[in-house]
Amino acid sequence: MDFSSVLQFLISGVTLGCIYAALGLGLFVVYGVTRVLNLAQGEFVMLGGMITVSLNSMGAPLFASIVLAVTITALSGAILYRFIIYPARNSAGSTLAFLTAGFAFAIEGLTLLVWGWEFRSLTNFLGSPNIHLWGATIFGQAPWVVGVTLLMVVGLYLFFGYTVKGKALRACADEPLGAKTVGISTEKMALFSFVLAAGLGAVAGATITPLTMTAYNVGIPLTIKGLLAAFVGGINRAEGVILGGMVLGLAEAMSAGLMSSGYHDVLALGVLLVVFLCRPRGLLGAPERA
Amino acid sequence: MIKRVAMLLVVVVLAFGGLISCAGPAEETTYKVGAIVSQTGPYSALGLPALEGAELIVKGINEAGGINGVPLELIVYDDKGSSTETALAAKKLIEVDKVLALFCSSATGLAHSLVPVANEGKTPGIPMSGTGLIHDQLGEWAFKPISAEEDYIPLPLNYLSQDVGVSKLAGMMENSGYGEGGEFYLVQCAPDCGIDVVEIQHFDPAATDMTPQLTNIKNSDAEAMFVWGSGPAGALAIKQAREMGMSVHIVTTPAQASPSYVEAFQEFYEMEPSAVCLDSKLTMWRQLPDDDPDKAMCREFDELYTGIYGHPPSMWNAIGAQIVQFIADGLERAQPDPSNLEEARAEVRDAFETTENLSLFMGTYTLSPTDHYGRVIPKEVLVTFEGGEKVLVKW
Repeated sequence: MDFSSVLQFLISGVTLGCIYAALGLGLFVVYGVTRVLNLAQGEFVMLGGMITVSLNSMGAPLFASIVLAVTITALSGAILYRFIIYPARNSAGSTLAFLTAGFAFAIEGLTLLVWGWEFRSLTNFLGSPNIHLWGATIFGQAPWVVGVTLLMVVGLYLFFGYTVKGKALRACADEPLGAKTVGISTEKMALFSFVLAAGLGAVAGATITPLTMTAYNVGIPLTIKGLLAAFVGGINRAEGVILGGMVLGLAEAMSAGLMSSGYHDVLALGVLLVVFLCRPRGLLGAPERA
Repeated sequence: MIKRVAMLLVVVVLAFGGLISCAGPAEETTYKVGAIVSQTGPYSALGLPALEGAELIVKGINEAGGINGVPLELIVYDDKGSSTETALAAKKLIEVDKVLALFCSSATGLAHSLVPVANEGKTPGIPMSGTGLIHDQLGEWAFKPISAEEDYIPLPLNYLSQDVGVSKLAGMMENSGYGEGGEFYLVQCAPDCGIDVVEIQHFDPAATDMTPQLTNIKNSDAEAMFVWGSGPAGALAIKQAREMGMSVHIVTTPAQASPSYVEAFQEFYEMEPSAVCLDSKLTMWRQLPDDDPDKAMCREFDELYTGIYGHPPSMWNAIGAQIVQFIADGLERAQPDPSNLEEARAEVRDAFETTENLSLFMGTYTLSPTDHYGRVIPKEVLVTFEGGEKVLVKW
């Protein structure tokens, strides 16, 4: 096993890890504020990619296509909250999660109707060329994926830590009754969290499409990976979600590289199972407040 | 007294009317054939075109007066990409819709669910399966006049050893029933074709990053790579291999030649040495020599399909079409009486078993009670890509 091979596996793992971390962050944003597990997060990612490709192929410049795609997807996030979650807001968390799953299937079906089943692709942003490093290859779009994920992480850190709105969102998560007492509208904050998660998901979706292609049915597998990342790392903390994503991505890449048999998915998930058994709240999970 | 008689008369008339209406309208006899395809789910890319092809043939048969004057009725269910749904739909078609025969045309793994149900329900069933692994499990009632690896693997392997002059091959196999069959027969057929399988890697059908597996292939002494996949991952593997600077010869299964991938990744498909994919005579008939016995049949179907859908047909349209053609041929010879279902199904089965030299898009078939596959002449071709066009390489 030579250095350039291991380097290639690591590059693959980090790239995958960033994709999963970005998905997990979207889940974190909604869960952190509303305690709802948004199983439609993967659909937001998918929509971001599909709409960007559509607009771009109709002639719109790439950046404008992405901005428009993010806006439309954020709107769908608002629709999800306002018309599906909000009316059922007094239901149990599991009910709300099922509702988001229903929304996810609906989006998938609509996408199939509108766009058909074909897979779509984008060229690398700014035509970034592949980078060859010490015998390994970094695909041109990979730095964009890593960069966008980093931006998301830093952005969310600054937002939640240093802005009034961000602190208000955290207040809703930590102490909903107290938040209401000081005049924070938990409904408005919940709406905002869905819109934010949808927008972030769309950005991630547009960014990964040159690497992975997109189609109507990529949403649900992405959601599952995001869930795994979030649970393994600890969904209560952004750092946990990111760590979970990276662990998942690296486990997948390393086992695909080191085992030639078809069981590498099993191994990767097995590793995660072990993590769960040892630390049920996730690697960095904090105990939930009463 | 009169009142009583009048009341009795009313009751009698009503009763009579009730009895007459119970008889119901006379039902028209049709030959019912069940179709289970992926209209949704991961294999809808294969299922929807197959259904199009099937419906086209049914329409043509009915417009020409049906089979023995009896119209053909296609009853369609969606398998949603699930084996469970396939089996359930099959049961429903057999027990509730009372079909004479049924088929499942989505993906190999799904179609296999049909086999036990068809045998249990004593109804002829055709799984669209491209693998030979199922041949000894077909039983009395399942038939698969499609393709099998043993027939078509030699074509690309001989191309590599004879036309290109390489012998060391790496297998990049999908983790699925399809890939499993491929691996088994690749290893079995390779030595006879002068090929040495030096490395085998596996990938998930929905994988998006195959650089680890490709790295391992790069590090082996493989001169060529066989990408065995049915979904987007195979096409991505070609792109990523070329982006990693791998210049091995690449041969692939038919799914990678799908227009949506070729268009998106044209640059990589055409990069020297350009990728070589299995395809069918139907898509490449224009480049066949004029004396090819199948050219006319392919052109006819192409013109018919293009006239309706505005774009040329694909191999999956051909598969759906030929399954119906096979069933229609059997029905014509069996002349079953649908009112006696059990006997009719047995007659159809017997007719399938005596199919002789039936020329269809994927091959020419002669079946027998011991051979429910029966392909005697395979009709796959090899294509490559040049200047945005598919070019016929070998057939």
